[in-house]
Amino acid sequence: MARFRFPLLIALALFVVILALTAALKDRHYILLSLVLVAAALFPLFVRLERRALESRELVLLAVLSAVAAVSRIPFAALPSVKPVSAIVILSAYVFGAEAGFIIGAVAALVSNIYFGQGPWTPWQMFAWGMVGLTAGWLRNTRWMRTRTGMLIFGFIWGFLFGWIMNIWYIISLPDAFSWGLVAAAYASSFYFDLAHALSNVFFLSLLAGGWIKVLQRFRKKYGLLQQE
Amino acid sequence: MNKGFRSMHPAVALLYYAGLLLFAALLFHPVFLLTEMIGVLSLLLMQRQGRHLLRALPFYLLMAGSVAVMNPLFSHRGANILFYLLDQPITLEAVLYGVMMMLVLLTIFIVFRSYNYTVTTDKFMYLFAAAAPRTALLSLMAIRFVPLFQRRLRQITLIQSTRGINVNSGKLRKRMKDGMTLLKVLLTWSLEEALQSADSMKARGYGIRKRSTYGIYKLDRQDIWILIVLAVSGLCTLLGWLQGYAMLEIYPRMKPAVFSWGEAAMFASFCLFVLTPLGLEGKEKWLWRSSRRSGYPSVTPMKAGIRSMSFRSR
Repeated sequence: MARFRFPLLIALALFVVILALTAALKDRHYILLSLVLVAAALFPLFVRLERRALESRELVLLAVLSAVAAVSRIPFAALPSVKPVSAIVILSAYVFGAEAGFIIGAVAALVSNIYFGQGPWTPWQMFAWGMVGLTAGWLRNTRWMRTRTGMLIFGFIWGFLFGWIMNIWYIISLPDAFSWGLVAAAYASSFYFDLAHALSNVFFLSLLAGGWIKVLQRFRKKYGLLQQE
Repeated sequence: MNKGFRSMHPAVALLYYAGLLLFAALLFHPVFLLTEMIGVLSLLLMQRQGRHLLRALPFYLLMAGSVAVMNPLFSHRGANILFYLLDQPITLEAVLYGVMMMLVLLTIFIVFRSYNYTVTTDKFMYLFAAAAPRTALLSLMAIRFVPLFQRRLRQITLIQSTRGINVNSGKLRKRMKDGMTLLKVLLTWSLEEALQSADSMKARGYGIRKRSTYGIYKLDRQDIWILIVLAVSGLCTLLGWLQGYAMLEIYPRMKPAVFSWGEAAMFASFCLFVLTPLGLEGKEKWLWRSSRRSGYPSVTPMKAGIRSMSFRSR
């Protein structure tokens, strides 16, 4: 069984991709294709996590940070879109770099959804929070992110981008109604949720930034974690 | 307790849910979608998950219902115009398409609800631990940390409140600052401790060789039979889909739905696929019922065919 696992998985993936393409081209039915594409977007960074040299300390560090991000979502469960997850992912990516940020964001989405319920939105959330971490890591050495206001603006923008990525999933289910009107309506109806997310990002970032960056940087230095990036 | 469909090998459950999801996303026919939805719903009800489902239902209805409303408002394809709304034609076809999409989404939501109950995290990890060992270990550790951190946060709150740091009293500014102090304590404590356990992992030789995996699940004869039944019926359904069956043509003009012989055969195999777990669950219920009827409950001998986790690990 173990010997056949990889060929079997690859064959299965190919099979689903072909089915998705057929459904999309033949019947203009895009739900399956969209899920396949999101999975493909998540794939490379997880492959890299499997392949690269990684100390057990670094692995545990990633697990702790994703778990903290996932736990932080629980007390705010009653308020939709108010989640400190994005803020924690941004701060971790700021200290530990883009790849670590992506993994922390994606795993935090996966783990917190065990408590909130998995659904077709799980891969999209994994992708969206992963991208939050990835971009924060890419921009961490720019002058913009170095200033506190720059980081707050970054969090604010991602509050909206996150909601917009999640909206794609909804729009894709109506291929025939696709028009700028539908897009505008979908984005207008999510505006208040996105605004709440953006403002809560600013709020949590301004509260957490100073202390957490100091703590994380000290750990990074003391134990020599994820230094090579 | 784990019994019935829940006690089957994880591969069976995964094949079942992957198939259900695939069919929900591929087949575009009200009869098929309704069959799938009702099948999974009755499975959930038999497993006594009705109350949990009811709690999530408003959200599901809101999401799916909005699709049904949005489609006719923005799509004006179709030949039969029902009426005009703000000079925009509302067509029968667009309404039907919206309703179909609503069915698709509802089915997917309900399938995931059932998946959450049946494929628990350990089963999922068992299936994927060998393919992606590091990702599996990482997510497993994170999952394990969540309840630990919640417990720790309660301890920290209790201890810090003796020195006046708590989030329940004082001005808003002070309370927020205190809350952040608590979180920072949690972060440093957990990181210190986790890095120690990482060191002990290393000392015990983690990462020296390829990770081996321990499997608690064994494929027994019933699992294999069910796997074969699911695979064959699923493939027959897919073949039917490739033939162009089970696709309701709505645009540009709705075609009358003719249930041909081929489609009927496909529907039969689809029903077999969807209803197999229900049959297992029902058989289990029946065996428990009839075992209660004869003799003392405490001395009831183990009936052949009753499956439960405790029974198999013996």
